[in-house]
Amino acid sequence: MGKLNRRRFLERMTALTATAAATPGALGAISRAGSRFPGETGAGSRAVAGRPDEPDLPPAGRPQPADPTELTLAEAARLLRDGDVGAVELVEAYLARIGRWDPRYQAFNTVVSQAALEAARTADRTRGRAPLTGVPLAIKDNYFTAGVRTTANSFIFEDFVPDFDATSWARLRDAGAILLGKTQMGPLATTAASTPTGERTTVNAWAPHHDGVSPGGSSSGSATAVAARMAASSTGTQTGGSITNPSNAQGLTGIKPTMGRVSLHGILPLTYTRDHPGPLARDAVDAALMLQVMAGPDPADPRSLGLPPVPDYLGAVREDAGALTHPERRGAVRIGVLPDFLDEPEPPEDPEPDPDPDVDRIGSSFPRRERTQAAYRREVATAEARRRMLATLEEMGAETVELDFPTRWETLTSFNFNNVRLPERSEIFLEHLRDDVRKFGVSLAPWINGLLLPAAEYVRGSRARLVLLREILDEVFGRCDLVTQTAPFPFDMVGLPLIGFPIGFETGSTGYPRPIGGMFGAEPYAEHHLLAVIAAYQRATDWHLRRPADPGELRPAEGDGGGPRDGADGSRGRDRSPGRYDLFDVMERGE
Amino acid sequence: MARRPSTPRSVTSSQEVTDEQLDAYIHTRLALLGVDLSVLPAEDEDAPADQRRIMASARRFLRSTPGAIADFEFDPLGPAPAIYPAEVSARNRG
Repeated sequence: MGKLNRRRFLERMTALTATAAATPGALGAISRAGSRFPGETGAGSRAVAGRPDEPDLPPAGRPQPADPTELTLAEAARLLRDGDVGAVELVEAYLARIGRWDPRYQAFNTVVSQAALEAARTADRTRGRAPLTGVPLAIKDNYFTAGVRTTANSFIFEDFVPDFDATSWARLRDAGAILLGKTQMGPLATTAASTPTGERTTVNAWAPHHDGVSPGGSSSGSATAVAARMAASSTGTQTGGSITNPSNAQGLTGIKPTMGRVSLHGILPLTYTRDHPGPLARDAVDAALMLQVMAGPDPADPRSLGLPPVPDYLGAVREDAGALTHPERRGAVRIGVLPDFLDEPEPPEDPEPDPDPDVDRIGSSFPRRERTQAAYRREVATAEARRRMLATLEEMGAETVELDFPTRWETLTSFNFNNVRLPERSEIFLEHLRDDVRKFGVSLAPWINGLLLPAAEYVRGSRARLVLLREILDEVFGRCDLVTQTAPFPFDMVGLPLIGFPIGFETGSTGYPRPIGGMFGAEPYAEHHLLAVIAAYQRATDWHLRRPADPGELRPAEGDGGGPRDGADGSRGRDRSPGRYDLFDVMERGE
Repeated sequence: MARRPSTPRSVTSSQEVTDEQLDAYIHTRLALLGVDLSVLPAEDEDAPADQRRIMASARRFLRSTPGAIADFEFDPLGPAPAIYPAEVSARNRG
C-alpha cells in the first residue's frame, strides 16, 4: 500500500461534508416502516461480486476434532465443502450448545433455530460451492436481517423487522453462511451488553460466573457467542472499540477495517463518521475469510466506492505468504512501538479505594475508575505479554521501531475531541429524542450532550481530526508498517484499520484465566498486512487455540458476588445480573 | 517565517460559569429543539435516567468539551482548511 493509498485516503477524508445526502437520516422512518429504500436490497439479491466460488481455503492444519463446534470457520468451510461434515450436523451442534449454555452466557437476543436448520438442510442437499456454504454465524443485532427482528437492543427498535439484509450480511449469506441468531449488544451500540435500562446481560465466556469481568462491548454477544463455541464467527460494529475490545476481552481476533472497506448499508448507525462493520473470529485466518466476503464496493454506501481493490486476504494469511516481509518493500515488516505500549504500571496509591458518593459517575464522559489491586495485577501481566509478543515477532524477523507520539496526539485523542462524535448520534436520533427521551433508557446522557455542542465546535473538532490523520500518516506510517495501539479510539476517530488479537492470559485479577489482548493499527486499506502478521504470530503461538471451559465446569470465584443464580450446571433460567453499567463507560467498554 | 496571528484570550473561563447559567442554557437549548426532560423523574437513583443526573452530566460536558475544542489552534501555514470526513465517494465514481 504505501504513499498512493495514504494520499488517496487523505483526499477522500478531506472535503466539506455533505453527509445528509448519503446517510440514512430518517431513522424514525426505518423503525416504523422497515426499509426506507424500497426496491433497494443492498447486496441482498446479488452474488458476491468478484469472489471465486471455490476460494483457496487454508489447508487443514490439525486433526478433525470430535466436536464440530471446535472447528474454526476455515476448517468448517473446508470440511463442509469436502463433504466431511454436514451443515445440519454443524448447525445442530451449535444449537445444542446455545440451548444448553446461552441461558448463562446471554449472548443472543434472538435464535432462529428452525430457519437455520432449514437452511442447513438446503445446503446439504444442494452441496453449494460458495465459500461459506453451511457455516453457521451469529450477527450483531444492529445488522438488518430480512424478516428477523433487529433491535439494536433498544426500546426504539424493539419491534423493528427489516425487509432487507444489510449488505455485509447479504454478502455472507450469498456466500452460503447460515444465520443462527442475532447477538446481544450494548443498547444502540454503546457500552457492553445490557438491557436498555442498564442491567447487565451478556457475560464473558472466560468468566461466566463473574459479573465483574466485562465481556467487552458493544459487540458483547458477538464475542461471547464465538468464544463459547456457539457460532463459528460473528459480525460486529465499531465506533469506539466495539470489535477490538470484546475480541481482546475474550481471546478472539477481530478486525475493524478502514472506513468504507465494508458497506454500512443496512446497519443501524451510531455516528456517520466512525461506524465500521467487521468480523470477530477465532483466529486471523477466520477473520481473513470473513472479511474477504464482507468487503467490497456497494452502490448503497458511497463510502465503499472508488477504493483500491479488495486485496487477497486469504492469500495474505497463507503459511507461505512471507508474512513478516513487507510485500512491496521486500524488507522486514516494521512494527512501530508508541511510548505507552510498554509502560510499566504504577501500583495504585490506595489499593481498595471506596467509591466517592459525591461524585456522580453517570454522565461523566470519563468515568472515574477505581484502580484496584486486581486491576493492577492485570496491567502488570499485560505489560509482560506485550513485551513477549514483540520479542516473538522480532524472533520471526520483524523489525521494531521506537516512535514518539505524533505532534498533537495527546490533545487530539483526548476525550474532549473524542466527544466530537456526539452531535452525530444526536442528529441521527433527533426525532426520537423529541418524541420521548425515555426511549434511550440508561444511555440517554450522551445523546443530550450531543445536542449541546455548538456547531462551531463540531466543525473545529472535525477539522482537527484531519490534523490527527495527517500526523499519523506522516509521522507514524512514514517510519513503520504497523503500529502498536493501547486504545482503539485514535484510529476509530480517523477511520484507520485495527486488529485485536490474543497475546496471553492472566489469572491474578479474578482467579479465572482471562485473555490478554494486543492491538495493531495500519495504514489505510492495509488490512491484509495486519492479517498476515497476526496469522504468522498465531502460527508461532497458541493463545488463539485456547477455549474457555463450559460454565458447568467452572465454579464461582471466592468472594465474587456474581455467582450462579441458576442451576448447578449453569444451564437453567435466565441469569439477570444485578449490576448496571456506568452510563458513559464507553471508554473502557466500547461503542 | 510568517507571523502567526495573535489569539485573543477568552474573557470568561468555562469553569467560572455558574450552574444556574448552565442550567438556563441547557433548558433553553433543549426547549428550542423540542426535547423535554421533564418526563424523567426529578431524582431517582433506581431509574435508568433522572433529571438530576442528566443535568449534572450536561453541565460537566459543557464545562469541558466545547472550551477544549475551541482552544485548539491550527497551524496557519498548514494545508487548506477542511473537515473530516467527506462523502466524496460519489464524486469519485468512474
